[in-house]
Amino acid sequence: MSPSPLCKRRGMVEKINENKKSLMIKNYFKIALRNMWKHKTFTFINITGMAVAFGAALLLTLTAFFELSFDTFHQNKNDVYQLYIEQHHANSVDEGSTMPIPMTPALKAEFPDVVHITRYGDFGGSALRYGDKIFNDDVRCVDADFFKMFTFPIVNGSTINPLADKNDIVLSATVAKNIFGNQNPIGKLIELKVDNGWKSMNVTAVAADAPKNSSFDFGLLCRFEQFPGYDQNINEWNSQSHNVFLQLPTGEKQAVFEQKLKTFVQKHYDASIKQLIHDGAKPDNNGQVLSLHLIPLTDIHFSAISSQSRAISKFYPYLVLLISLFIMFIACTNFINLSLGRAFTRAKEIGVRKVIGATKTQLIVQFCSESFVICGISLILGVIAACIFLPQYKLAFNQQVSLNILASPAIISYILGGFVLISLLAGGYPAWLMSVGKTAQTVKGKVGAGQSSSLRNSLMVVQFALSSLLIICTAITWQQLNYMRTKPLGYNKSEVVSIPIGSNIDPEKALTQMRSKLSSYPQVVSVTGTDMNLGKGLDNSSSTSIMSFNYKGRTVSTNWLRVDYDYVKTLGLQVVNGRDLSRSFGADSTMVLINQKMAEELGEKNPIGDLLPTDGAKLQVAGIVKDFNFKSLHHEIAPLTMVIRTGWPINYILVRVKSGNLASSMALINKVWKDTNPHTEVGASFLDENTERQYNKETDLSKIFVTGAIISIVISCMGLFAIVILIITQRTKEIGIRKVLGASVNNILFLISKDFLKLVLISICIASPIAWYAMDKWLQGFEYRIQIQWWVFVITGTIALIIAFVTISFQSIKAAVLNPVKSLRSE
Amino acid sequence: MIKITNLEKFYRTEEVETIALNKLSMHVDTGEFVAIMGPSGCGKSTLLNILGMLDDPDEGSYVFNDIEVAHFTERKRADLRKHNIGFVFQSFNLIDELTVFENVELPLIYTGVPSAERVKRVEEVLDKMQIMHRRNHYPQQLSGGQQQRVAIARAVVNKPKLILADEPTGNLDSSNGNDVMELLTDLNEQGTTIIMVTHSEHDARYSHRIIRLLDGQTVMENIMI
Repeated sequence: MSPSPLCKRRGMVEKINENKKSLMIKNYFKIALRNMWKHKTFTFINITGMAVAFGAALLLTLTAFFELSFDTFHQNKNDVYQLYIEQHHANSVDEGSTMPIPMTPALKAEFPDVVHITRYGDFGGSALRYGDKIFNDDVRCVDADFFKMFTFPIVNGSTINPLADKNDIVLSATVAKNIFGNQNPIGKLIELKVDNGWKSMNVTAVAADAPKNSSFDFGLLCRFEQFPGYDQNINEWNSQSHNVFLQLPTGEKQAVFEQKLKTFVQKHYDASIKQLIHDGAKPDNNGQVLSLHLIPLTDIHFSAISSQSRAISKFYPYLVLLISLFIMFIACTNFINLSLGRAFTRAKEIGVRKVIGATKTQLIVQFCSESFVICGISLILGVIAACIFLPQYKLAFNQQVSLNILASPAIISYILGGFVLISLLAGGYPAWLMSVGKTAQTVKGKVGAGQSSSLRNSLMVVQFALSSLLIICTAITWQQLNYMRTKPLGYNKSEVVSIPIGSNIDPEKALTQMRSKLSSYPQVVSVTGTDMNLGKGLDNSSSTSIMSFNYKGRTVSTNWLRVDYDYVKTLGLQVVNGRDLSRSFGADSTMVLINQKMAEELGEKNPIGDLLPTDGAKLQVAGIVKDFNFKSLHHEIAPLTMVIRTGWPINYILVRVKSGNLASSMALINKVWKDTNPHTEVGASFLDENTERQYNKETDLSKIFVTGAIISIVISCMGLFAIVILIITQRTKEIGIRKVLGASVNNILFLISKDFLKLVLISICIASPIAWYAMDKWLQGFEYRIQIQWWVFVITGTIALIIAFVTISFQSIKAAVLNPVKSLRSE
Repeated sequence: MIKITNLEKFYRTEEVETIALNKLSMHVDTGEFVAIMGPSGCGKSTLLNILGMLDDPDEGSYVFNDIEVAHFTERKRADLRKHNIGFVFQSFNLIDELTVFENVELPLIYTGVPSAERVKRVEEVLDKMQIMHRRNHYPQQLSGGQQQRVAIARAVVNKPKLILADEPTGNLDSSNGNDVMELLTDLNEQGTTIIMVTHSEHDARYSHRIIRLLDGQTVMENIMI
């Protein structure tokens, strides 16, 4: 049956409506594109600003998400925790995550409901032998539960229990490829260097490499029974050496388990608790002086307690995210302000559209489609720019970001959500404002400039406040960095070379050889050895040993430093009392040097000759050296004891060279070291480079601040530039009249710039206290820090004003020199 | 006061060159009231702009108060202008964002008159123009006639020797127009030289002399008796 005429007609009407709709949308986009083309300057400013902002924000967001994604790839991430111990003293609290070896078996026995538990010990960079080839890789010692708790998939070999036997070993994919090439490593034997020779290990599995956002990184994993000192310390509760991780039953609360640990602590740490109380410890809120606690797996990356973490403050990724939001806000502000400003010039078009029958909704849709086009183009350009600059960004900011994160649904929805929100806000608000205007007024080209200009001004104030904030933060970060770089540390850092010894040579032999070889070169002043580097060497490792002993009835804690003869001479330390350790005194292996802080800690008027009952043996104080910053300037100088005892290994050789031609001295030392230890992989470095490396985190932060500040000030100024063009267009007639009445170019320049400079000044006043507060908080993290000076705010404020003024002048002068005859005629 | 000789001004676009003033010569004595008439495009406004030193001629000489100003720099012209010439426009050209008082005060600010003196002089002139009661209003709040009175007040506040008026009654009804012409005549009687461009024969009759322009040249001069 053929359709009734009515149906046919309805169908036609629908078709016509559909046609109308598609025509309308076509019309919107046509107008959008034509408008963009007609106002090239604004389009350029909008698109460039937004694209730069999108690109920068994207990179920063990736950085933040990367940091926040640490250890989140583990399936059991919500149930796995790291154990740490908290000890309260009279005036301080110690928190540490290193545990004694018997802790884990005891926990296993006493808490049967704990699902899994593993120790995680750092074997150290270790030598491996396969056939006649020697390799150097990171070996970690874990318990069999490790693979059940953590998601490191086995790609080859035994998946069920790869570390079932004491001599089993698991390789990472990279290490497997390095050692075995294309051979199948499963079932092969490799040899691991232990204290007294080589030990055969059976390769049972190959695990996928740990992802970059993992707090655990390993080349090889062996059973914890292989951990150095395992047999000696198997029942030793006072020797801490490794981290412990446990998996609670799903649903068990952290706090509940920590409560349960109370009795466990009382049972196993009875003697320590008594000693702490005897020394005047102040108990915590629960009345405990010593307690065990848990850090959730996903918080480890940000934990200052866990020795597993890089101790990045959790504040850092959020700060990065905040800066990216700042930049986006500034670019959006430009967009909104330009749309608002142009509403003025487009009022006539809107009026005409309304007169011929456009509804409010249609107008809003039209303007939104324009902003979607601009935002869309900007987003695409921004993503392209981010991809192009990613390698440089990674290099410059020391960031481990990859675009893979982009594929995660969270990021995609974050970006798309942001895109839609920005388009709607930036396009919708001005559209709404214009479309609600009275038709009769708008057709005459009049739009309420008053209401939009107060919004515009507030947005510009926020914009410049954010830029000023970043400039001030940059200045203060830079000052603190500079302060740390130049502050005298109490030792010679520019003429001392530090060589990480590594694991493939006997350290004492290495020192002896280096001493004798280097003694023949006139530019070498002295050579010594130590177990702890000053600053951060090219081996990227840092360590601390703390020794506590009972001294005249109370516990004294001191940093413990293994040194060798000539340590004082090499570093240029100053002996303020007593004498240096010297070969001429035969028995100096039982003598120690202490620093002034330690002398204070001992509480003796003259501690020279005192006996310190440490470590079984009694050590005698030979001399006191002037305090020096053996740790980074984040920390106060602590008590320090320096010993020459061959029982403690040295890890670094320090060489003092004569000033002048340091580069050739360095080359010489590297050559001699290469002769001595041909397998060496890590180079020597000057101590000033090492101390600099300690502040990498701060340097990265300052770089992010600088970049953020530059991007935001550039985008802000682009916006200001465009706004000035608009204002001048609107005030052309006024400028003409004023010129006819005798205004000079300077008068006009002042007229236009004073309103904007006022806004910038307000911004600076808003930004300064916020910056002061935030940076003061940041500086609290440094034991040695600068005082924030008032003139920093004055100078940065002046800079912001000058930049704004130059931006304004550019267009204003052009308008001011224009012949008023022209501007009045155009009216 | 004014002597121009062989003044020429061209406007060039990409294709055509229009001659706005073609070897125009004329003179105006101090105290005169001159009307310039002619059809659209005859060069009236161009002439007025050059006389007002807003624009410079391409050729010829312009002597103002015995000084040759034809090739003065922009800065020098501006300086001479702000001390000697007042302008009255057809569309008033008041600044919308400033009040009546502030609009009139503006020329005094630019010539650097001290604040107390400014208040005195603005009040004086507003009083004379009978718009004192409107001193705190904005231009949009005034009628056309009142706006033009403000514009004239602004033109004379600096006590200029010359007033240039460009169709001062063009946007006004006849009664307001007559008021404005009376005002100009009063000013002229007090010694101010006035040159006025107009389309209106009626207004032109207030002047002493009418100069008629066509195609940038003087075609006729009528002396009014």
